[in-house]
Amino acid sequence: MTGTRHGHEPGVGGVGAVVRRHSDPALVTGHATFIDDIESGGTLHLAMVRSPFAHAEIKGVDASAALDLPGVHAVLTGAELVRHAKVQPVGWEHIDNQRAAPTYAMAVGKVRYCGQIVAAVAAESRALAEDAAELVEVDYEPLPVVHSIEDALAPDAPRLVPEWPDNVFGSQTYGNGDADAAFADAEVTVSERLTFGRQFGCPLEPRGAVATWERYTNRIELWINSQSPNRVREVVAEVLGVPVSGVRVRVPGIGGGFGSKANYYGEEILCCLLSRLTGRPVKYIEDRQESFVATSHAREQRIDVAVAATRDGVITALRGHIVGVLGGEISSVGMGPVWLSAVSIPGPYRIPNLELSVTGVLTNRTPYGSYRGWGAPKATFAMERIIERLARELGVDSNEIRRRNFVRPEEMPYSNGVFATLDSGRYEHCLDLCVERLRRDGWYRFREEARAAGRKVGIGVAAFVESTGIGPSRVMARLGIAQGGYDEAVVRMDSTGRVTVFTGQTEMGQGMSTTLAQLCADELNIPVDQITVVMGDTDACPYTGYGTGGSRAAAVGGVAVRQATGELKRQILRVASHQLEVDVADLEIADGLVQVRGLPGYGRTLADVAYAAYRRLTDVGEGTTPTLQGRAVFDPVALTYANGCAGVVVEVDPATGGVTVLGYVMVDDCGTMINPQIVDGQLHGGCAQAIGGALLEDLVYDRNGQLLTTTFMDYLLPTAMEVPPFSTVHVETPAPNTPGGMKGVGEAGTVPGPAAIAAAIDDAVDDPAVFVRHLPVSPEQVYRFCNAAG
Amino acid sequence: MSGETAITVSATVNGRRQTFTCEARETLADALRRRCQVRGVHLGCEHGVCGACTIRFDGVTARSCLMFAPQADGAEIVTVEGLADGDELHPLQEAFSRHHALQCGFCTPGFLMVAQELLAEGGPLTEEVVREAISGNICRCTGYHNIVEAILAVADARSGEAEK
Ligand code: FES
Ligand code: FES
Repeated sequence: MTGTRHGHEPGVGGVGAVVRRHSDPALVTGHATFIDDIESGGTLHLAMVRSPFAHAEIKGVDASAALDLPGVHAVLTGAELVRHAKVQPVGWEHIDNQRAAPTYAMAVGKVRYCGQIVAAVAAESRALAEDAAELVEVDYEPLPVVHSIEDALAPDAPRLVPEWPDNVFGSQTYGNGDADAAFADAEVTVSERLTFGRQFGCPLEPRGAVATWERYTNRIELWINSQSPNRVREVVAEVLGVPVSGVRVRVPGIGGGFGSKANYYGEEILCCLLSRLTGRPVKYIEDRQESFVATSHAREQRIDVAVAATRDGVITALRGHIVGVLGGEISSVGMGPVWLSAVSIPGPYRIPNLELSVTGVLTNRTPYGSYRGWGAPKATFAMERIIERLARELGVDSNEIRRRNFVRPEEMPYSNGVFATLDSGRYEHCLDLCVERLRRDGWYRFREEARAAGRKVGIGVAAFVESTGIGPSRVMARLGIAQGGYDEAVVRMDSTGRVTVFTGQTEMGQGMSTTLAQLCADELNIPVDQITVVMGDTDACPYTGYGTGGSRAAAVGGVAVRQATGELKRQILRVASHQLEVDVADLEIADGLVQVRGLPGYGRTLADVAYAAYRRLTDVGEGTTPTLQGRAVFDPVALTYANGCAGVVVEVDPATGGVTVLGYVMVDDCGTMINPQIVDGQLHGGCAQAIGGALLEDLVYDRNGQLLTTTFMDYLLPTAMEVPPFSTVHVETPAPNTPGGMKGVGEAGTVPGPAAIAAAIDDAVDDPAVFVRHLPVSPEQVYRFCNAAG
Repeated sequence: MSGETAITVSATVNGRRQTFTCEARETLADALRRRCQVRGVHLGCEHGVCGACTIRFDGVTARSCLMFAPQADGAEIVTVEGLADGDELHPLQEAFSRHHALQCGFCTPGFLMVAQELLAEGGPLTEEVVREAISGNICRCTGYHNIVEAILAVADARSGEAEK
């Protein structure tokens, strides 16, 4: 992706500047390249035969009619696959008693969820491949379906993995202090059972891959719209038994990821394998209906949460037990997101006694993986709901409870004894700003006036912290995650003085190519439009331990770019120092020159220094290595914690049960902001997803394990009518352990919204019997809240 | 073509006459992407809900995933590729970039086509009117806030000019 000169503001455009994105001109004119735009001559197209049953033995597959169709090149089944491919690795093996459930790129012998791939058909066109897929005869013998947590945990439950004694994938308890004693001695205790529905990232562009397995070089070139090209490369190599160096993964423009494209899947393996079997490039583009059954699901959990407190509202202990509704196969992140929910429940609060547990159960549903926010939205939902419950019990304002329990800046770094070490932040200040903004925007007055007129308007607030900048490699290793948490970056100046940044991060709409260029511009003090960012090619770009996700691209990848730029700068100054016969310490880069401090204009142009370093070596002195290139690897020493507060205003219509979000304040501390406009954009998008998650989006299964919501008419994404204008407030508390102070902002918007919306609905209905315990809350439920209290 | 009848279609696409052969069952979106090489027509759902495939068809916006390619015979089609004037971006394209109204940009062609139609209607635009007009398009990235701002900014600039 090259930088263009379209529309940059004058000046350098370094950290803190609103710089227009490099990628925009191609995108707004329809000339950007997405995965479906990649197609070389002779490409075959893949269509999948997907299981109509949620749980069944595969007795046989007859592909002869499909293979007879002219233009069909191959039909791959699980029986054939295992001759060429190993199991799909699980990256997260961090639960002590985590079991293994070997999962292949497609079903082998048995299907465990509706939509699981049973056969893959390669043909001259997608339409033909789909025709042929319909001709593949599969003989299924249906098995009893495990539909829910209750089903899965029943003593006589059918087992998804017959070798296991039950359907529990893993289970672990984490503790600090003495929760039992604190609950026994408590002046007040409250408890709730909450549930969060099944949802998924649902980027507007579905997943896709194009693979070419070169027969004679035995190299695989794989184009894929993945957030983790380095990981995909290693997985393809591992599963197909080729060296990592034999796989080149390339990433075109990505039409949104939201974590769902950070997981790796079977489809890319099938593309590679079918390319080898047919000798042709093979392309697969998931269609929308497939995306609902084939792209990682997320969010669904049952949460039992309780707190013990004093009559003054000081929380003394917290219990949280989470059961995650995993699918029929294990995704690449295992039960990572469910675990993170459990250990993150304490949030921004000082709670000395903790008992937190997590259990993952298999059900006959689509595998459970990553979605923006990972564990944090559910953890925040649990904590903020129980605070509301406690506030009601004590008859005080819930914000008072928050204030009494926030970890204060002077207590940081604060370890909660379980997982989090809160590094920085002004939580109470964020809450104050949120309330202040709600007031300034007129929402408290509006609520009173509306209520006086008989309308049901409510305001809800939720505070949050979110582990970002994932992750220090030491933490990853301690958790048993087979990935690093560092990032490598290379920054080069060419012989004309232009700079190219090479990164392992990927651009999926979050503006990363622009913000990385801004960090580089800032360090070198050169205009951002002279910097090109190259990403998405494992042959050309550096390695990243984890890829793009976990709000880490700026906080980890950005630091690596900054440090590599620093090294480049030292080299530039060294060359110039020789040219000018001035000490390095007396030189600076400004206005396109390497010049002597205090003597503006006295120096050499960057172009001249660069030319010398590459092409006029006589100028640079003995012992100086030609070329100009910095490389750095940054591995953070600790996680950092973005934080903030959301305030949401809703109106409930008692006649229809409809909930309208009228106002939305988002206060966010993402540390240092690189590009405030992009930060706002990230928050807006995340907040819209929070609204979807709280009110609209629900992957609904029937008792037979059939997914009922497989179109945009059934799975409702928020439109401009359901989303209000956003009012964002920024707090910049630099991350103490991140050079440059960035914390990360990719996920924050999704985190506090669901809890705040639940509180706002309670407030709008204003009935002591009503308490939102399940999200997304349906109009039917809200209607019952308003009309029968319950 | 799997034994189906090939149909010849002749249409004007972004001002250029194009003649192509397609299958009877082929969607117009697929034909535009694969046979006319206009790749700015994006497919987000192929069932008429997301609006990413929106084009202008004989003067009105249409979802090309819900039309068959042969329906385009004799039609005048404009896609997002037809909005800019050479290197000069259309004011809406410029505003979308300036206001950060796109992130991944996958939905953007559809929003631009709808916004262009809305502006061409010439009525006074309020936030409500804009939201209503774009409510048939899904954006998963931006939360719509900046899309609304970008469209209103172009409308404001136009009414400013009209008053001069
Ligand atoms: S692709 Fe046509 S409306 Fe979604
Ligand atoms: S910008 Fe990504 S879907 Fe709209």
